[in-house]
Amino acid sequence: MGAPFKRGYDGVLELQAQEEHLTACLKLGAGYILNLPKYLYCVNKVESYNPYSGILHSNEKGKNITGFQKHYAVFKKPDGKVYKYRGDDSSPKGRNEGWSSFQDHFDKRSPRYEDDGYETQPSHHCDDDGSMVMRNVHEGPKERHSPYSFQSNRRVRWHREGNIHVTVWGNGKPVMREMRENPQDGAQGSWFKVTIPHGIKYDKIWLMNSIQSLCSVYFTPVDFHYVKNGARFFVQKASTASALMDVSYKIYDEKNQKIPIFVNPSAVPYSVRNKLGPEKMEKLKLAFSKRFDVSQQSLDLQKLRFDPNLVGHDIEMILNRRNCMAAALQIIRKNFPELLSLNLSCNKLYHLDGLSDIVHMVPTIKILDLSKNELNSMWELNKMKGLKLEELWLQGNPLCDSFPDQSTYLSAIIECFPKLLRLDGQELPSPVVIASHTPCATKPSKETCKESDTLKNMILQFLKQYYLIYDSGNRSGLLSAYHHKACFSLTIPFHSEDLALSSLCAYFKNSRNMKKVKDPDLRVQQLKHTNSDIVRALCVLPQTQHDLSSFLVDMWFQTGTLLCFSVNGVFKEVEEGSQDCVRAFTRTFIITPASSSSLCIVNDELFVMEASPKNTQSAFSIPVPTPSTSSVATLSEEQQQMVQAFSTQSGMNCQWSQKCLQDNEWNYTRAGQVFCMFKTEGKIPEEAFKEIP
Amino acid sequence: MDKRRRVSVTDYYSLLNTSLLYLDKATLIWNGNVVTGLEALANFFDMLPSSEFQVNMLDCQPVHEQATQAQTTVLVVTSGTVKFDGNKQHYFNQNFLLTAQTTANNTVWKIASDCFRFQDWAAI
Repeated sequence: MGAPFKRGYDGVLELQAQEEHLTACLKLGAGYILNLPKYLYCVNKVESYNPYSGILHSNEKGKNITGFQKHYAVFKKPDGKVYKYRGDDSSPKGRNEGWSSFQDHFDKRSPRYEDDGYETQPSHHCDDDGSMVMRNVHEGPKERHSPYSFQSNRRVRWHREGNIHVTVWGNGKPVMREMRENPQDGAQGSWFKVTIPHGIKYDKIWLMNSIQSLCSVYFTPVDFHYVKNGARFFVQKASTASALMDVSYKIYDEKNQKIPIFVNPSAVPYSVRNKLGPEKMEKLKLAFSKRFDVSQQSLDLQKLRFDPNLVGHDIEMILNRRNCMAAALQIIRKNFPELLSLNLSCNKLYHLDGLSDIVHMVPTIKILDLSKNELNSMWELNKMKGLKLEELWLQGNPLCDSFPDQSTYLSAIIECFPKLLRLDGQELPSPVVIASHTPCATKPSKETCKESDTLKNMILQFLKQYYLIYDSGNRSGLLSAYHHKACFSLTIPFHSEDLALSSLCAYFKNSRNMKKVKDPDLRVQQLKHTNSDIVRALCVLPQTQHDLSSFLVDMWFQTGTLLCFSVNGVFKEVEEGSQDCVRAFTRTFIITPASSSSLCIVNDELFVMEASPKNTQSAFSIPVPTPSTSSVATLSEEQQQMVQAFSTQSGMNCQWSQKCLQDNEWNYTRAGQVFCMFKTEGKIPEEAFKEIP
Repeated sequence: MDKRRRVSVTDYYSLLNTSLLYLDKATLIWNGNVVTGLEALANFFDMLPSSEFQVNMLDCQPVHEQATQAQTTVLVVTSGTVKFDGNKQHYFNQNFLLTAQTTANNTVWKIASDCFRFQDWAAI
């Protein structure tokens, strides 16, 4: 017998009765409650605790309560006895007045849900006693039947290891509800449907997290799905429903609009109503066990519907149906919690709403086979975004055909699953590691000469590797060359006559020339600022063939962490079916060390313009092994003086003098000799003697 | 941020040939020639003939702080045509890094580095 308890701040924890005021500091999901007096602790996983209503939620089921979804917490008192507290807010029986038909709240059965049997029709729901268990959440004028009202004073009865019948005294603010003892009444609690209009445009995880963070009660959304443009899920308690209503118009979206949340009573959600019974679940577990490979931690559920173990027992596992998918996930979570590989091929899946729960239920999955299903858009696949997949199979889904080419397909998939290594059995282009010599600007000046050569080589290597992939026809390999928050933008010249625009139209769409693009939103849009956005944008540009020999590179800024250089050159556009066009470009890169041996690009600005055929005739024809570079060689005092002297003596300008000295390792005498030799042989071009303007 | 950059570009070209906009240790690479330090820059600009610039393209990007060690920096890229007295018209590309110098009252943007090149491949 437990002592009677008072209503108070802590609700369920008042079970301790007149003991000290407990401020439960709950650690959600961790299975314990902190700050309790020593003699009381919770041995079950506690999912949530609402100090206002005092309702504890737990996900565990007791040993002798099966097939029964209730929330409860188990307490152990110092006398060693175990007490279970069951939390459920099923309202007292009886219809409420003012409860008009809620037909209009229900959606018409849409074809989309036919197969999965998702229906929200106002079927005749009765609980076992045949009475309606519906709550009108809105206070009617007639009766103040607030969701938190309760009945007469009752004593608390404690049962050991049994169902607890608990009520709370008090007036006004209720804390407990009367429990029902019937263990089979899975559908006793009142259900509410929560609708977010236009919810389809928000990222599901963001939306649910936002709602949860503002909601005073922890809730578990059931059967999350989209109805036309709205998002919808179900919750079970009037208190939860009420708390969710309070969140309406409190969340702001990206455009600073308030997001409404509509809560209405509803029938029991499909997956709950059609929940597979315990015997079926046992059979399902057996069938799954036969399909499970322990050594690989892999579960093969392809063509599950036709599994002889299931068909024979009259179990129809149509995975499009919410209840089937939910049952499957339950089995996996309980029996194969560390699953690595899941095969769902050939199950006619056309939506992944139900499967998306696996992201938090079984996050260990790294290999997923969704091939030969009916997924027809990336939007569906994006619901699985939370999984850290390394291998994915998608072929045989309509969505694969919706991409214009392989590289956009790859980019889209990689964006969804950035750690992916294999897609449809093929290794993805391996990440580019641009090796480097560590640039360091901190060494004493004597080393600067070597440094600049080192830097030069590094840049040349970088360019070679970069353009090898860039010209290869598949630019997705560049993903790892970019910092994950790198910036890229593309511009073309703005001519008032608009002459060049027509031929540069492939670039125009993405051009961010600020002289032309005045709209700030568009400007923001055209600045790609994540590596996956960048690679996606690059993959869309025409295929190219760069002439590395034409490259003129200016390395114009350098610190210990930053290297900035510009490449001027030409390239050919080599699109199938059209004549090759030659373009001139200037591309500025800012790179930074990513690790001790690799670099990554933080900024990339590409400017493309038409090239005049006359001027580019020489390009693509004369093979010159390495591009020429001019660099900000930070010359030491001594070197600068040498350059000056050499210039005066030879008559060459500073640039050429410097080059000559550098080529001869700053050996003044030798440089002089080399110079004289070349001069007599007439090998020095005129421009070497030209004064720099 | 955008507006500031646009203003600075206009300022730059109107104030061309002065070294007011440069950091003390700024460097200019002018068609491959290196000019470092305010004094050298001042001399350099003195020697440049008078010019007429027409800017046809402007773009800018913020530079990630990992590379700049939290020194707010912007990459600005421009292109257009220029005609120096006594020379023919050239297409040019110019890129520079602007860095913010904050004082108690305001923020001044200065050029940390500048790279200018005639563009000879362009169709004229």
